[in-house]
Amino acid sequence: MGRNSRRQPSPSIHRQRTLRVLGTDISLLEAVRFKAISDLGFNIEFEVLDFPNCQRKAALNPEAYDVYDQCFHNLAIVWFWGALQPIDTAWLSNWSKVSALTKSGGVGKYASRGFGDAPMHKLYVQPDHSLGPEETRHIAMLPTVHNFDSFGYDTRVFNTDGNERESWAMLFDPRAQGKLALVDEPAIGLFDVALAAEAIGVLRFENIGNMSPAEIGALFKFLRDKRKEGFVLRCWRTGEQAAKLFRDGDVVIQSMWSPAYNELGSATAVVKEAVPAEGYRAWHGGLSIARHVTGPRLRMACEYMDWWLSGWAGAVMARRGYYMSVPSTVMDYLSAAEWSYWYDGQEASEDLTGVDNETIVVRRGARRSGGSYLERARRIALWNTVMDEHNYAARAWTRFVSSVNGKLR
Amino acid sequence: MRKSIKRYELVAAALRSNIVSGRLETGLVLLEGPIAGLMKTSRAPVQAALRILEEEKLIHRFDGRGYLVGRAGTSAAPVRHDIGKLGLRIPNEIDAALQNRGLWEVVYEEVESAVAACLIFGEFRIIESELGDYYGVSRTVVRDVLGRLHERGIIAKTSSSHWIVGPLTAESVRERFQVRRLLEPEALRLAGDRIDLEKIAQSLERERTRNPAKQGAADWMRLERDLMEFCIFRAPNQHLVELIRHNQMPLAAASRALTRLGLPEDEIAVSEYLMLFELIAARAIDAAAIYLSNHLTALAEKNLARLKIVAVIGEAQVGVPYLTLRESD
Repeated sequence: MGRNSRRQPSPSIHRQRTLRVLGTDISLLEAVRFKAISDLGFNIEFEVLDFPNCQRKAALNPEAYDVYDQCFHNLAIVWFWGALQPIDTAWLSNWSKVSALTKSGGVGKYASRGFGDAPMHKLYVQPDHSLGPEETRHIAMLPTVHNFDSFGYDTRVFNTDGNERESWAMLFDPRAQGKLALVDEPAIGLFDVALAAEAIGVLRFENIGNMSPAEIGALFKFLRDKRKEGFVLRCWRTGEQAAKLFRDGDVVIQSMWSPAYNELGSATAVVKEAVPAEGYRAWHGGLSIARHVTGPRLRMACEYMDWWLSGWAGAVMARRGYYMSVPSTVMDYLSAAEWSYWYDGQEASEDLTGVDNETIVVRRGARRSGGSYLERARRIALWNTVMDEHNYAARAWTRFVSSVNGKLR
Repeated sequence: MRKSIKRYELVAAALRSNIVSGRLETGLVLLEGPIAGLMKTSRAPVQAALRILEEEKLIHRFDGRGYLVGRAGTSAAPVRHDIGKLGLRIPNEIDAALQNRGLWEVVYEEVESAVAACLIFGEFRIIESELGDYYGVSRTVVRDVLGRLHERGIIAKTSSSHWIVGPLTAESVRERFQVRRLLEPEALRLAGDRIDLEKIAQSLERERTRNPAKQGAADWMRLERDLMEFCIFRAPNQHLVELIRHNQMPLAAASRALTRLGLPEDEIAVSEYLMLFELIAARAIDAAAIYLSNHLTALAEKNLARLKIVAVIGEAQVGVPYLTLRESD
């Protein structure tokens, strides 16, 4: 013991046993944190940022966190900044239960793989330290929550007869003029626009998941023209912001994330989650470990990751409309009514509550848009993707968003 | 950033000392062009220097092109010699400042580095007059510099004669690597016996005996330079070598810029170069060419990955007034 140790109190046990998790409000809920602390016996801190800021911090400041809770598509950024370390799957007792969607790219042999970067392309650490689908012992990210997203629309404005086909083209339907919002993340919102432009028939991409600079140029010209016509009202970064836009009646159609449907208040009755004819825009979340983490903290990180797959957290996520990579354990923590609504796409046999176990988020008799997990997972149009031209597209996107949101400031 | 060296004063000082010492004889014709060539500078500072020497009455105008050494009124007939062959003495400090590198080269390096650093942030326009003002150089130097950048494929000219830079796209990186894969392994084969095996052996020795604690990690860019200089550029086909050189220029410039922004370096690349050098040293040139081709395929992927991750670096850090972002809105 050095002399200093007396004057400078050594870190408390509590502090030594703290795991720091950086992520977004998709999965970092207080309820999850409290339960994990009580189950695992060490302290856990969450730092919750929006997508772009979370990704930037993860890439540039890996010392600031131990576990990174984000989406597979941004491994294309964070992994290649050298911020993360390979995870030995032998340390994860639930690894073998992880579903085929991430391991082999689809829920079944004939299920649509979708365009863009499916998680399997970023799953395994290859011998040259790059990421690829060839199975190895080490992974870059443990697959956890995921979903198949579309957009939400006001049924008083669209599809009033109940027979109209739902298509991404609706985003730029004349009825949406001035009442459209998009999610502000270039690897996500850009694709909502691209799917719409292709559905309308004004643009055609050779590979919508990996556009050329010319195609990106054409897409932004389309988007700027639409903005000039007054289409795009706002670009949002959190589900909460999206929910508010519907609640306040500011928009009639927009990109949507599943938990936001639970927060619509009086708008719940009129807002519908679309099942686009072209398919969903899929995404997959997961957990990674920062490069610097070693020793006891590394074991804590692995315990925490395994805990995520053990069912309790997956049940909370299900009540937000998210699926887990290991559905079998989630089943143990959901009521039969919950399982059959959220995963099986059946009519709710009773009113279902949300994450707080109080607020009713699903009324008896309701049926989840798009049907069961397998039905939805078979209809992937593309995955959220960091394209080869991401740097180019992301900068154009940022300029576009500030031209839209700039008017607000 | 701005250069405080007054180059015309250096040129004047160099000429003055040689006039005083008599190395430049009375009546010798002094022409801007040859002096600029000798001093490796543009004509503008030479013009200014000659005006100073005229004011000092060390030289004078006559009814031909240029100036004559000596006071006006001296009746010596014009003497014409190649100034480069007169063995001028140029004091060390002036030589160091002037002789070693031409003015355009000094400016060129700074412009190239500024341009390479910006092209990942989008499309920029280069304002010629701002560039000249910024470095305090003439339009001639500006044009030399921009002409060279153009020739090297780093900048382009629009139909309205504006100089533009970037954006550096994944598409262009992929295409340039495709060209590298087509040309470089073949150039290595052609180089064959002309490869400088001794230099390659030295590089290998240097890396084998490297002490990372003292010397730091190996620099893959240096190894790549060795590969080019000692192997690939030895191919007996100057046209091919020029194509390879030009094709690589923007890739290398961008790579340097990304490293300066703090992007992580590729640690695997070093071992790949060493493997390649081993094959070359063993004169297994065909095997080396195949290995090089595979190495370039992997390198292309790594470069594309590297280009994506720069997206988290927010606004363009340009820092020079002559580069302005071209907004498409």
